[in-house]
Amino acid sequence: MSLFGTNTGFGSGGTGVFGTTTTDSHNPMKDVEVTSPPDDSISCLAFSPPTMPGNFLIGGSWANDVRCWEVQDNGQTVPKAQQMHTGPVLDVCWSDDGSKVFTASCDKTAKMWDLNSNQTIQIAQHEGPIRTIHWIKAPNYSCVMTGSWDKTLKFWDTRSPNPMMSLQMPERCYCADVVYPMAVVATAERGLIVYQLENQPSEFRRIESPLKHQHRCVAIFKDKQSKPTGFALGSIEGRVAIHYINPPNPAKDNFTFKCHRSNGTNTATPQDIYAVNAISFHPVHGTLATVGSDGRFSFWDKDARTKLKTSEQLDQPITACCFNNNGNIFAYASSYDWSKGHEYYNPQKKNYIFLRNAAEELKPRNKK
Amino acid sequence: MPVCNFFLQGRCRYGEKCWNEHPRGGRGGDFRGNQQPSRGGFGNRVWINPSQRTSGDYIQPSSFSHSGNNDWSRGGGGGGGGGGGTSQDIKSSDFSFSSQNRFSALSSHSHSDKGGQNTADDNAKHVDTIQKDMEIWQTSGQWPFSCYSALNGQISGFVELSPEELRLEYYTGQASGDLQTYMNSVQQLANQWRSRVQELRTMSSSTQISVISELNNPSSSTSTQGFVSTSSGFSSTASGFGNTSSSSSGIGVGGFVSSAPQSSSSFSFASSKAVFGESNTQQAPGAFAQPSSGFAASAPSVASFSFAPQATENKASAAAFNSASAFSFKSSSGGLGTGFSSSAPTNSGFNQSSAFASSAFSGATDASHSAGSLFSAQSDLTADELKEFTAKRFTLGQIPLKPPPAELLTV
Repeated sequence: MSLFGTNTGFGSGGTGVFGTTTTDSHNPMKDVEVTSPPDDSISCLAFSPPTMPGNFLIGGSWANDVRCWEVQDNGQTVPKAQQMHTGPVLDVCWSDDGSKVFTASCDKTAKMWDLNSNQTIQIAQHEGPIRTIHWIKAPNYSCVMTGSWDKTLKFWDTRSPNPMMSLQMPERCYCADVVYPMAVVATAERGLIVYQLENQPSEFRRIESPLKHQHRCVAIFKDKQSKPTGFALGSIEGRVAIHYINPPNPAKDNFTFKCHRSNGTNTATPQDIYAVNAISFHPVHGTLATVGSDGRFSFWDKDARTKLKTSEQLDQPITACCFNNNGNIFAYASSYDWSKGHEYYNPQKKNYIFLRNAAEELKPRNKK
Repeated sequence: MPVCNFFLQGRCRYGEKCWNEHPRGGRGGDFRGNQQPSRGGFGNRVWINPSQRTSGDYIQPSSFSHSGNNDWSRGGGGGGGGGGGTSQDIKSSDFSFSSQNRFSALSSHSHSDKGGQNTADDNAKHVDTIQKDMEIWQTSGQWPFSCYSALNGQISGFVELSPEELRLEYYTGQASGDLQTYMNSVQQLANQWRSRVQELRTMSSSTQISVISELNNPSSSTSTQGFVSTSSGFSSTASGFGNTSSSSSGIGVGGFVSSAPQSSSSFSFASSKAVFGESNTQQAPGAFAQPSSGFAASAPSVASFSFAPQATENKASAAAFNSASAFSFKSSSGGLGTGFSSSAPTNSGFNQSSAFASSAFSGATDASHSAGSLFSAQSDLTADELKEFTAKRFTLGQIPLKPPPAELLTV
């Protein structure tokens, strides 16, 4: 459908700003580059939902801005609009009808951006930076869920300045995902809480983390009937845990796998271990993509427990990724994620967002 | 024939060819489907069975066990690299009893429940696991500011900070023009991490004792809540030092002190100087009632308590700066040694065999009346505290939190 197979508008290697066309390693996969990327690290990406025609990509960055691009079928990206916060933007999400975008920022507020009018209003306030924001659409209510470093999870009706509900968490929220009727929040100190969202959000279960180190990203996956059935949890230690909520045989069904490490089978030299920065599930195939601080992305089939593909190494870590609503486009952002501290931060270094045709590479390995 | 121990654990490599005896019926251990409701303290503590449940059909009342951490063993068509392979650990420990098979404890049915297990074995395995993990952590270049847990529960002494939090601190520091605070605190955190990792890796006997007691007694473990964000505050922890401590605590600077009794709570950073105090919780965690303390917010005067001026490095942490860590958090200024509690009066508290060292004395509570004062007036102390101070030695469990009165100090 979308013709991202060959690069049309954008050449490989040089960005066109520089005259040379050396294939420097900023785009070794020769994917389509998005025009006008943000000036600082991209923290989050989100594609528009299927209710809206076309593909629109939203990206939030550490330059305090949120940008919107239209991604056309021929691969061209057209910058459409931009909004600002007063602090770095950490998470973005779309409403279910595709008319609004919600943005969460370190300035402790979350805003609702009406794309038609290009206006924003503040809809949420926390005591600490807001790390995650998700739109919840239930049969009997709709709200925005914000998770913050102030250890609370709040639910906002966008019309009211006070939260509809506020839930206390054991620690700072580090990542979250929502697929109605389930929400998963991973916090600091290896906290992991599952919420159920029917009628009203309530804590369903606290789970002992299958991972030994800090949680970094989480993504819910669905079963064959499109019901959320479990989640994938990534940590800073190059490991992802696949966890089902109610598996028939937990010992066999739940597992962890290592990823984003160097030196695959050579155990003589110590491995470099990189953080898993984001996980996304393909909306159609159910396979997943992970992106890491090593500057690679990988595709996996969790049912067949195999790796489908690993990319070449980019020269910067990959900080965010997402699939579009029909699974044809995989977007990933190449920018510094602070995994090595401030010494490796170069504000002059260009940040990129790449788009890749995801229809073929993410097909599951064996149909069971 | 001698009985094959590996077979009993379910992992004999030779199978039928094994020269040792494989008793049928003694082998319980190949499947790991134990319905253990929770694994260790962490799970127990926070297990919640909500009373209300709606009818979403993925929600079922059964509990499930968490023991299914099988490493993803074979990537079918995948390329090399991350996906496959057994863990590095198993390789080296194939023939050792203190194995990396974390589930051997759970899987052998010859012991019906964990109570029947030989806990010494368990502990040895845990210690071994921890050591190996520390080694990997040091050499791999992975993010240092992360919590860490061994099989049972979390090991204390690690600050949990996400890269985003650190980055935000940098940006706010940059905006306010004061990056030095950021640099200092990062340096301090890095030092603390290095020393803690090294301590756990070398695992002296006292570290071992404290770690094991922590694992077996999860309620005593302190969780360091690394961060409370403000516009300028930046949290840091001061670690235990050398080999005697197992946990770290920190200091709250004005406004943030949420001191939970056992856990070292969030702390924020004094603006210009690093102020450390620390206390150690060892086998007797109850001994030090309040590891954290509150200070008045005005930074420089707080430094009256600091005994770690930038210049001094403490010997323990100096030893801990091994270059094994591939992670470079370079220090731009002279590093602040991790807080070393040589508090004013005596240094003799550092007794490796005895469980504690002199602890942080600073003013106790949020109300923080000891704002900046090093000693308390005798009238400020309760009778008990006065008794402690005048006694020859402190009694564990009753060590006063307020600083001693100047009059009692004999130097």
